[in-house]
Amino acid sequence: MFRNQYDTDVTVWSPEGRLLQVEYAMESVKQGSACVGLRSNSHCVLGALKRSVSELSWHQKKLLEIDDHMLVGIAGLTADARTLAKYMRNECLHNKYVYGTPMPPHQLMADVADKHQRTTQTYVRRPFGVGLLVASVDPLTQKPHLYQTCPSGNLYEFYASAIGARSQSARTYLEKHHETFGDASRDDLIVHALQALVGCVSGDDELTKENASIGIVGKDEKFTLLEGDALQPFLDRLELKGGDDDEEEAGDDAAAEAEPMET
Amino acid sequence: MMSSTTSTFGAPLMRHSEGQVVLGGSGEDAVFKPADYPGREQPYEHRFSPYDFNGGTVAGVSGEDYLVIAADTRMSSGYEILSRNTSKLHQLNPNAILASSGCKTDMDQLRSVLDIKSKIYQHNHRKSMTATSTAQMLSNTLYGRRFFPYYAFNVLGGIDAEGKGCLFSYDAIGSFERTQYSATGSGQAYVIPFLDNVIGNRNHTEEKPTLSKEEVVELMKEAFVSAGERDIYTGDALEIMVMTKDGVTKETFELKKD
Repeated sequence: MFRNQYDTDVTVWSPEGRLLQVEYAMESVKQGSACVGLRSNSHCVLGALKRSVSELSWHQKKLLEIDDHMLVGIAGLTADARTLAKYMRNECLHNKYVYGTPMPPHQLMADVADKHQRTTQTYVRRPFGVGLLVASVDPLTQKPHLYQTCPSGNLYEFYASAIGARSQSARTYLEKHHETFGDASRDDLIVHALQALVGCVSGDDELTKENASIGIVGKDEKFTLLEGDALQPFLDRLELKGGDDDEEEAGDDAAAEAEPMET
Repeated sequence: MMSSTTSTFGAPLMRHSEGQVVLGGSGEDAVFKPADYPGREQPYEHRFSPYDFNGGTVAGVSGEDYLVIAADTRMSSGYEILSRNTSKLHQLNPNAILASSGCKTDMDQLRSVLDIKSKIYQHNHRKSMTATSTAQMLSNTLYGRRFFPYYAFNVLGGIDAEGKGCLFSYDAIGSFERTQYSATGSGQAYVIPFLDNVIGNRNHTEEKPTLSKEEVVELMKEAFVSAGERDIYTGDALEIMVMTKDGVTKETFELKKD
């Protein structure tokens, strides 16, 4: 209602109790191409749809390594994401140097969330325009965890999640199948991630080994990145749909737009 | 000053915790008569030494497509043994193994610093460092502490970008050279001449044989057995790592415990 008067500075509240700049930053996340994450009791998998600017350009990398036991998938402003990844990497190196043990993911995520929050409460900065899905294994318990951050500074933990453009289709798929994830094998998880991504491609495009990318962390397994030819056997196992879910997505996205910021 | 406490030039020596230092001379009319002060014939400067030598010997041999690097596992200080099973070998990345002897804490710190630098390189370049790059990085890291050195004598071994074994030996401040074989540490004087003979084929008239990695491993064991015999700081056990482009294997060989 009052969007235009109260949306210039991040430090200005709207009469409805919303920080509009932060919400606009979250829009930026929705513009990024899709990234999905899901976990079982032993592994955590991230899948990403890599966008390319033109036929001549490469596909933008969306999965970044943080440490042996941690991986991050990004949606939104890539440059902001790289700053955050650099920060996370340094924190992990520092923790290993000082305490001789890999960084506990929940501790790092709390710090990352606080880093996001600081930008929402000062004049001179702007919120990060990127959403992160963080796949990690806690080095003490050897259990996998999937975290999500958003520009507001909120931190969520999920069994499965998806962010970015047309991600509602992925979320619907994940919700439908999430009960089978717990005991799923590593390969099955990868196929689920790719299947969830199928609905996120735009228009006539399809999911190929060029534009898909998968990252896995697991207990007793250092992080692995699957791209290019390594993905083909998994892509072959998919049922490529596309098309049917478009109408469903359009309705869901419109509904999501009017939601106030989560508390 | 007493004759036993003079240097060859006739000038008196002063005892110092880091070694003896020559002082300017004083005559017969000196007020201080050493005989009156047993045990205090010379000035003794107390000084804290930041270094301790924790002993050990390290050696490496590079081959056509392999690298063998070995180190004993004894850690000592003075005449005491502090540990019989500490490792002096550390794999920095899939292409390079670092072996050091010297002051244990400096060795550990150097290792931690290099691990961090290797990881940062891997994050930024999305690949592991090559062995030759690792060698350069180690040199620069050591030189960065030119005026308060890491008391670590290093041998870095790996497989280079062409798949050949490579070995680099260092001094404490980063000077390094690629060699076929090398040894450093307390027992280097026993190991190097042996390697000169069997690996370098020095003073042999017949042709230099090509050695397999299994033969080199056996020769390493012999070298360390010899070193352990005469060097008090070398012994307990020998860790041998063999690196090829397919990976790394590790073997432990028992040495004399005396």
